[in-house]
Amino acid sequence: MESFFIRYRNLLVLLAILLAQIVGLAVQVRHTDAGRNTLDPRDGPGVRLIRLWANALVSPPERLIHGSKLGIGGLWQNYIDLRHTREQNQELQKTIDRLRLEQALLLEDSRQGQRLQSLLDFQQKYIYKTVVAQAIGSSGSDQSRVFYIDKGSADGLDRDMAVMTPDGIVGKVRDVFPHSAQVLAINDQTSGAGVILETTRIRGILRGNAIGQPQIVGIVADQRIQPGEKVLTAGGDQIFPRGLPVGVVEKVVRDPDRDSFIDVIVKPAAHLDRLDEVLVVTATAPRFSPEEQQDLATSEALKGPEAAAIKEQKKASELMAEKLPGLTDPNAPASNPTVSPATGQPGQDQAKPATSPDQAAQKLLHPQHPDRFTPGAPAAVPADANVKSDAKPKPRQASATPAVGSTAARPAPKTAAKLPAATPQPSEPRRNP
Amino acid sequence: MSVLGADFRRDQEIRRYPLLLYALLPLVALVLQAWLPRVLGNHVWFDLPLVVTVYFALGRRSPIQGTLMGAAMGLFEDALSHHAIGVNGIAKTVAGFLAASVGVRIDVENHVIRLVLNFLLSLLCSAIYVFVYRILLGMELEWRWFTALFTAVGNSLIAIVLFPLLDRLQIKD
Repeated sequence: MESFFIRYRNLLVLLAILLAQIVGLAVQVRHTDAGRNTLDPRDGPGVRLIRLWANALVSPPERLIHGSKLGIGGLWQNYIDLRHTREQNQELQKTIDRLRLEQALLLEDSRQGQRLQSLLDFQQKYIYKTVVAQAIGSSGSDQSRVFYIDKGSADGLDRDMAVMTPDGIVGKVRDVFPHSAQVLAINDQTSGAGVILETTRIRGILRGNAIGQPQIVGIVADQRIQPGEKVLTAGGDQIFPRGLPVGVVEKVVRDPDRDSFIDVIVKPAAHLDRLDEVLVVTATAPRFSPEEQQDLATSEALKGPEAAAIKEQKKASELMAEKLPGLTDPNAPASNPTVSPATGQPGQDQAKPATSPDQAAQKLLHPQHPDRFTPGAPAAVPADANVKSDAKPKPRQASATPAVGSTAARPAPKTAAKLPAATPQPSEPRRNP
Repeated sequence: MSVLGADFRRDQEIRRYPLLLYALLPLVALVLQAWLPRVLGNHVWFDLPLVVTVYFALGRRSPIQGTLMGAAMGLFEDALSHHAIGVNGIAKTVAGFLAASVGVRIDVENHVIRLVLNFLLSLLCSAIYVFVYRILLGMELEWRWFTALFTAVGNSLIAIVLFPLLDRLQIKD
């Protein structure tokens, strides 16, 4: 027996190690409801520990290499190539002053836009906080398009945060370590991002192919999709904020598996193979920094005289309106006597004879040339009656006293049907002759 | 006469390296494999951990050591990726075992043999990778064989340059 183990020890060690790894793989893979096997996106404690060790072993040298590269570059840029810096500094200071004012105005616009969006009940996400990170390493494999950044949970990063550059989206945070994080690029085969074509508004899912090109899969063949069309994030994946640039359509190819479907190859806007600095979107909630709030206050202060001028103009127009002759009878009662608020039907007041001085004055306002649309005219009665029978009664609104020149003041049957409360009645004020 | 036997010959031809090299070389290979794609772009047509595994397996001529070295390198590579841990591990375990087993029987000093061996083992690794991923795990994986071919060529060329340099670091009696 001993000789057996000694004789086949090499093979036995090989089999034991292979078996251990196969068992380890079986633990990591799970069977989905769709009948497919997939890798568990959440690593188990053991797997995560191995990843943590590997990261702890590889990241420091990578940081060192990256830091030395930056150091050499910095030495040249910061000490050797420093001519005309003072002049440039002064010019830049002026530019900063100007840009700060512009930024304040833009911030205000952004705030207003956000208010309007919330009014429209859109689920638009706004990027309010990002963390700048350096790409320090990769997986080193064509089959795994992930890369590592030098910021981790200590810097506020978390799983599934969007990673982007000013050019466009890059990927999402897949795993977070204390001082580094793993980012799954959008050109990986297992990635997925909801995207929309800018012009044709066709939606799809973006993911990578075997050679690392992002492609939109599962789109029904459509002649309108042409190379050059912009691709944006759709915002439905709960990771990437809506409307961020993804890239442009490079070409359209037939889906090899399904006849009526196409794959849209996308040229990414961000340089995925040459990433250096990236932005991790850590917050999409509206939070203004103290500096931004200060800029906003500056904007308000700048806007002060303008706002005062607008107020003055408004006041002057109101005064002018009072002096000008109006089409509304100034003696008309403030409340609408025609409709009972409880029932929505003509109320008791209407039935009463006009005895007050106001009502007496209204008698003077009879039209000179009544027609069939004129309230109270013989022809108008049945027409109005028909319309009112179809119209739903509405409680009295603020239009009880018809505004000057408003449609409610005009005796149009359609308007009357829609707004029965505003239907002019004989007792209502009429146009001055 | 055991002096003339295969075991004696093998013992005589076993290479020994400074202990630091055993620790540093695999680490350097892993770090460079992770860092170089950032400099060279996404076309990673080499597999430095595999080259190092093959080198040590050929030099040490011990299938157990080759197996362990391959398993460790593969597992570390897997850990740096987002795939299941063990796919590369299995591939490199087999590669390390085979390289050491072959190293006992052939002249590993020959450059052509080194080149061919690296080429074949790289292709074998790719084949095992696809087998484990698609058949054993039953998961979807889009695969381009020309990439595997380029990787095999890249590994062979690196081995041709790297092996003689590493040979100089071995401890000679």
